[in-house]
Amino acid sequence: MKPLHIFLFAVGIAILIALPLGQKTYIVYVLCSWLIFSIAAMGLNLTVGYAGQVSLAQAAFMGIGAYITALMTMAGVHWVFAATASVSTCFVIGLLLGYPALRVQHHFLAFVTLAFNTLVFLVLRNEEWLTGGSFGLVGIPRPEFGPLSTMKQLPFYYFALICFLVSAGAMAWIIRSPWGRAFKALRENPIRANSLGLNTSRMTLLAFAIGSAFGGLAGAVMAPLVQFIEPGSFALVHSLKILLMVVVGGAGYFYGPMLGAAIVVLLPEVLRFTEGYYLIIYALLVIVLMVFSPSGLFGLGKKLADRLRPQRVERGDLKQGSQL
Amino acid sequence: MNTQSNVLSVHNISKAFGAIKAVQNVSFEVHKGEILGLIGPNGSGKSTLFNCILGQSSPDTGEVYVNGKSVAGRPSHQLNKLGVGRTFQQLSVFPKMTVIDNIIMAGQEHHGTMFSRLFGASDAGLTDEAEQLTEFFKLDHLRDEEAGSLSYGQQKLLDAAMAFMAGPGLVLLDEPAGGVNLTMLEYLKDRLLTYNREHDATFVVIEHNMEFVMSLCTRIIVLAGGEIIAEGTPDEIRANDLVIQAYLGG
Ligand SMILES: Nc1ncnc2c1ncn2[C@@H]1O[C@H](COP(=O)(O)OP(=O)(O)OP(=O)(O)O)[C@@H](O)[C@H]1O
Ligand SMILES: [Mg+2]
Repeated sequence: MKPLHIFLFAVGIAILIALPLGQKTYIVYVLCSWLIFSIAAMGLNLTVGYAGQVSLAQAAFMGIGAYITALMTMAGVHWVFAATASVSTCFVIGLLLGYPALRVQHHFLAFVTLAFNTLVFLVLRNEEWLTGGSFGLVGIPRPEFGPLSTMKQLPFYYFALICFLVSAGAMAWIIRSPWGRAFKALRENPIRANSLGLNTSRMTLLAFAIGSAFGGLAGAVMAPLVQFIEPGSFALVHSLKILLMVVVGGAGYFYGPMLGAAIVVLLPEVLRFTEGYYLIIYALLVIVLMVFSPSGLFGLGKKLADRLRPQRVERGDLKQGSQL
Repeated sequence: MNTQSNVLSVHNISKAFGAIKAVQNVSFEVHKGEILGLIGPNGSGKSTLFNCILGQSSPDTGEVYVNGKSVAGRPSHQLNKLGVGRTFQQLSVFPKMTVIDNIIMAGQEHHGTMFSRLFGASDAGLTDEAEQLTEFFKLDHLRDEEAGSLSYGQQKLLDAAMAFMAGPGLVLLDEPAGGVNLTMLEYLKDRLLTYNREHDATFVVIEHNMEFVMSLCTRIIVLAGGEIIAEGTPDEIRANDLVIQAYLGG
């Protein structure tokens, strides 16, 4: 890393530490949910933004993670173990969900993952003996680490922040490793990547598995934050919301999902004064952004930066159709 | 010659797309160190034959052996691991990745295991090697440009460079000269011959540029309507009536 990067990085962390100080409990709660959705969106960004797959099921993985953590911690298991179980389970289920992606793509894949999200929702709602049905689970304990309790909102924020930083660190590591390059190659030209020795099937499955594991962790942090979960929190509309975070922030940009999550989670608070018009204004902003910059806010930023530097845009005239 | 001593041997490959018989009963052998040309009119099945050999599409019938090993039905990445490189007729680079990243990508799957790649260096230790290759193909001044912003000919060269990154013993090149200018063409030919000599590497080259193919190859196979209609040295092919007919008759 260059010195400038290290400096910016340190400033960023300092801001994250200082952010909740002196804020009302509710604001701290909103910030926690921003961190949690950032984790989920970061994972989805790997699947969608870097590896070029389609998934409309990230909320289902949050749900799976949240329910596993809730059930285990309510049974007295420590959060660390519950979260590990959540992440591993989501990794495996994500891997399985990846299999259809080896056969179908684009909107077909969207439908497969959408169906999966609905399936998870129905299981959470109908298997009352385990999940409490539509009433959900109440009284999820907050984790304790020795003498440190996260019962109060501020300590919980720092707990969520640590989870967020660990996730971001892991994601950064993956992206900068040869795996990151392989995911991008898979997105840009799978046939070429395959001819260069990349096992594209395995990489596709991994893109789903890793992305889903991040969803599982987000759920595992979400459960003790809200302390009450019900199936509705993990319905399809929430998967769309997480996808929106990725797309608005900028799919395929490392910081994109964090910015996207900030906008989707915090903007409603900012726009609260407009009351009933909130959704309309919100929808309009999204439409305008997507028309002018399909690659999200980071894409917009890059476009502006490129204006100042010599041209380096992909040549539309040379775009390949079929590679055969 | 038996299959053992041939780098590539192809037996009775056929491939039809509905009513179109793209490739019909094609058999040939390629010896170690040979540069074999594959020519024929548009739509004669050359690229389809490559795709059948390389596991890109599955042939209806036939067998393919690489170094005596049957590879029929193997996916492309396994063939690549066996030391088979290829280039594509259509531009086939990773447009949003830099030139150097494209080339590193072309080599990284050959280094270490999957897990060592996750935990090891970001470039899989390949930056130096990749830089040498960019120089070899005269792409060094474009090192950090996005591949998609290169000109057509430059992308063709990059595609070729990528095929060589993993040090393959056998390379199948589908129209490497397309869109490459004359000076660069001479240079490309020189590069291919150098690599061929230094590594005792074997090439199969599809090409419409007769000048290029005749001066590069030691033997040429002519395909028309999916069938082999002639085979011989460049001089024999030049004088062959069937070949002239195939080209003139379309
Ligand atoms: N995926 C496909 N689906 C249907 N038909 C195909 C497919 N691929 C090739 N063909 C047909 O097979 C025939 C041979 O095509 P191929 O691309 O192999 O020709 P070629 O010799 O490479 O031609 P060119 O010199 O123009 O590249 C053509 O008639 C083509 O239309
Ligand atoms: Mg062709």
